[in-house]
Amino acid sequence: METMPENEKTTPATAPLGERLAYSIQEAADLLGIHYYTMYRLIQRQKIKTCRVLRGKLLVPRTELVKLLQTDLR
Amino acid sequence: MNHNKRPTELQESAATETKIAFAEHLNQFNGFCAALHNLERNLETTGNDAFKAALLSPGRMVKTDDGAEWQHDLELMKDISICHRRIADEMEFAVVESVPFPSGETKDVLNSGHNVREMLQTFAHDQRQVLRLWKDDVTAQIREHLEQKYPGHDINIVVESFEYKMSRALAQRPAQAQNQSRGVRI
Repeated sequence: METMPENEKTTPATAPLGERLAYSIQEAADLLGIHYYTMYRLIQRQKIKTCRVLRGKLLVPRTELVKLLQTDLR
Repeated sequence: MNHNKRPTELQESAATETKIAFAEHLNQFNGFCAALHNLERNLETTGNDAFKAALLSPGRMVKTDDGAEWQHDLELMKDISICHRRIADEMEFAVVESVPFPSGETKDVLNSGHNVREMLQTFAHDQRQVLRLWKDDVTAQIREHLEQKYPGHDINIVVESFEYKMSRALAQRPAQAQNQSRGVRI
């Protein structure tokens, strides 16, 4: 199995913003250039899928953001 | 959890620090709660205003992403407006949200219906769910923040105080709101 070089390994918390697998609501809103309340609205309407981590904090997968930017919700 | 138990100095200090760290979120949350209460309190008036606007003025045209064309009636809250369109002899209303993405603005119908009051009730109900989602997420963020900052300490009382405060902000109308919390003063 191919392994990642030691110097390229990053934990989710320390990975640069552009390389993360998932983002907090605030981070995702910043990346999309919208208010985070709009993010919660999009989540409530199931326009964006999220996952919950241990404490119940919402995370937006990177793939969801890419999908959203590609489709612009259309 | 016994909320009559006096918080420790560390818990008081953690609450003060968290209040500062999450000030923006908490202030915004209270602001959106107030906007929702205002809408719920003035639902009848807002519905009448929208109906009057629809009768009196054609309003500017709003094309939503599904291709439908609406006439703008009034602003409901930030990025959200009430629109209408005529289908045969009937008037249909819609709550339209504009999301200003850097790549371009999207316009989505959040709720629609022939009865503007019922439509606004549904919209208010949906916004309440959005605020609950926000509250739960901020509570989780506060817990994560405190667990990282104060490992090994009991910070439940602090987390619960913030959660309680946000629940009250969401539940109460402004006139009923009182400056009260439990557990830790926040």
